[in-house]
Amino acid sequence: MSGAEASPAGGATAQISRAYLLEQQSGGVQLPMQPVLLPGQTAGSMTDRICALALRERAFLWWWVLLVPFALMFLLGVCSGFWLFYRGPGVWGVDWPVMWGFALVNYVWWIAIASGGTFVSALFYLVRVDWRTSINRTAETMLLFAAVAAGLYPIMHLGRPWFAYWLFPYPDTMALWPQFRSPLFWDFAALFTYVVASIVFWYFGLIPDFASVRDRARRRGSQLLYGMLALGFRGSGREWRHFRAAYGVMAAIMAPLVISVHSFVGNDFAAAQTTGWHSTEFPPFFVFGALHSGFAVVVLLIIPLRRLYRLEAFITSRHLDALGKLMIVTTFCMAYAYMMDAFNSFYSPDRAEHVYAQAAMFGRYAGIFWGKIALNVFLPQLLWFRAVRLNQIMMLLIALGVTVGMWLERFDIVIVSLSYSKIPSSWGYFHPTFWDWSLMAGTIGLFFGGYLLAIRLIPVVSMYEMRELMKKRRA
Amino acid sequence: MSGVVAGFGTEEAMEQAFARLHDAGLAGETYSPHPPEGAPKRSWIPAVILIGGFAAAGGFFALQCYALMFNYPFDIGGRPLFSWPAYIPLAFEGGVLIAIFAGFFGFLIACRLPYLYDPIDEIDAFRAASRDTYFVAVRTGDPERIRQARELLRPLDPLLIEDIPP
Repeated sequence: MSGAEASPAGGATAQISRAYLLEQQSGGVQLPMQPVLLPGQTAGSMTDRICALALRERAFLWWWVLLVPFALMFLLGVCSGFWLFYRGPGVWGVDWPVMWGFALVNYVWWIAIASGGTFVSALFYLVRVDWRTSINRTAETMLLFAAVAAGLYPIMHLGRPWFAYWLFPYPDTMALWPQFRSPLFWDFAALFTYVVASIVFWYFGLIPDFASVRDRARRRGSQLLYGMLALGFRGSGREWRHFRAAYGVMAAIMAPLVISVHSFVGNDFAAAQTTGWHSTEFPPFFVFGALHSGFAVVVLLIIPLRRLYRLEAFITSRHLDALGKLMIVTTFCMAYAYMMDAFNSFYSPDRAEHVYAQAAMFGRYAGIFWGKIALNVFLPQLLWFRAVRLNQIMMLLIALGVTVGMWLERFDIVIVSLSYSKIPSSWGYFHPTFWDWSLMAGTIGLFFGGYLLAIRLIPVVSMYEMRELMKKRRA
Repeated sequence: MSGVVAGFGTEEAMEQAFARLHDAGLAGETYSPHPPEGAPKRSWIPAVILIGGFAAAGGFFALQCYALMFNYPFDIGGRPLFSWPAYIPLAFEGGVLIAIFAGFFGFLIACRLPYLYDPIDEIDAFRAASRDTYFVAVRTGDPERIRQARELLRPLDPLLIEDIPP
């Protein structure tokens, strides 16, 4: 180490070559520190490469190998959905006092993952972060399927899901309105807007890229498909002028929207009188959690994507490094939120709060509590080391750990609080059934299967933004 | 023929050609693989989004006032019927929803999309407009003006000049 630093060649060249050597020695796991875009790529070569991925006649073998298990999981989820609709929510382990079982745990978990994707795509667009360009498509696609997975749960949890449309404010013959003053209604409004707005924002950003794919397509079928999806976008001065203005404003709207969505999810809990929930801290606490899990899932998706699709020139170690640093920030946000949560419980004059907090930390669910602390707060501390941030296996493991840790946190919030209500005689534990787990597996299948279908059909990197970035780099 | 199109390797050459056509009174249009940097005119879409968003937010706020104060007033422990802070979430979310739609459909209307067929698509080389080539096009049926445009464009050394079929 010191020898290399003292070498007369010094500087960047020696460091890069040493890093490349290191990558070769460790089988490509450890990466050198790279720029946002590797040299040797032009606008033409990049466009051809990304379009060819979408236009491949046959999918890669690994694609099928990955898709089949996720498709089977999704089918299992569909079956458990039918069983649930046939028999009612009693097939789940929900029972008094824990009436918000896995449905709410997974709802909050998925919507948090989705929200993190919007942060990468909209917020970092507004602050002109250059490393966002090649991963925003992944972040947006991820948020789309996570939001769909999240949106299914409240409907399934309704008990009478065929009345889900009663949530819309429409003049009905019963002269009833939804309860506009309830955070549960705000949550519905926010989630509905979020899913619809995300789909529009995602498709809008894809229009110029669909045009690129259309112009490269050689088969009639793909020409028709991408031709229709591109809506006849040709890149004229007028189209770009309006496109850029509209995209910028949409991004500026999406950023506060996503904060509102997760704040309202937090309000679902905070407005209730339940022990452990009734706290003004919840809305920002939930937004921190959304950032933490969203960044983790972006890492979880882009590391295999760059390797399997050979996108190392566009998704470089710089991206992993930046996301790793962001996770250090969010892990401290989480640590602060956990600290304040515990402080609020013990500072409260309410004896039920003290009992609940002690039970959460040392009772039956202590493993969940300490698991969430270990995975969300202590594990990401490894990211302080650059060697860890540039190590793909370590990044994958940490991202997976945070994703699981965030699920434990949702379990801790939803189920542990409900288990220890104010009257000890009505305490009770939650026992998930097979159908709880199978439906959760179904949403995981929906998420990854949907993502795999999307990367098969749409350009995985935002090409027009990459061309803009390349032009700026050359200038 | 319905016009002429010329392709260039750089954005600067395209801008120059466009300026030259513009000075000669030949209304032109540029086609580029990414948003051109010199934006000549501002877009009115942000104004549409703003108006749509605020109109929808006001509308949803009014809807809640009507529903909870006049259509179905319900006294809960003497709390005020006009509990406006609780009406803000739906007003915000509804405003955002309509604003996003206003942006999307405003864009389609402003650019006259969907516009699936254009005679310019018949030119094979024009496909590079979505890759790495910058084009300027003059749309006119007048052969004299097409000749004039070609004469203006040729000294700029374009990669190609082609007529747009009718």
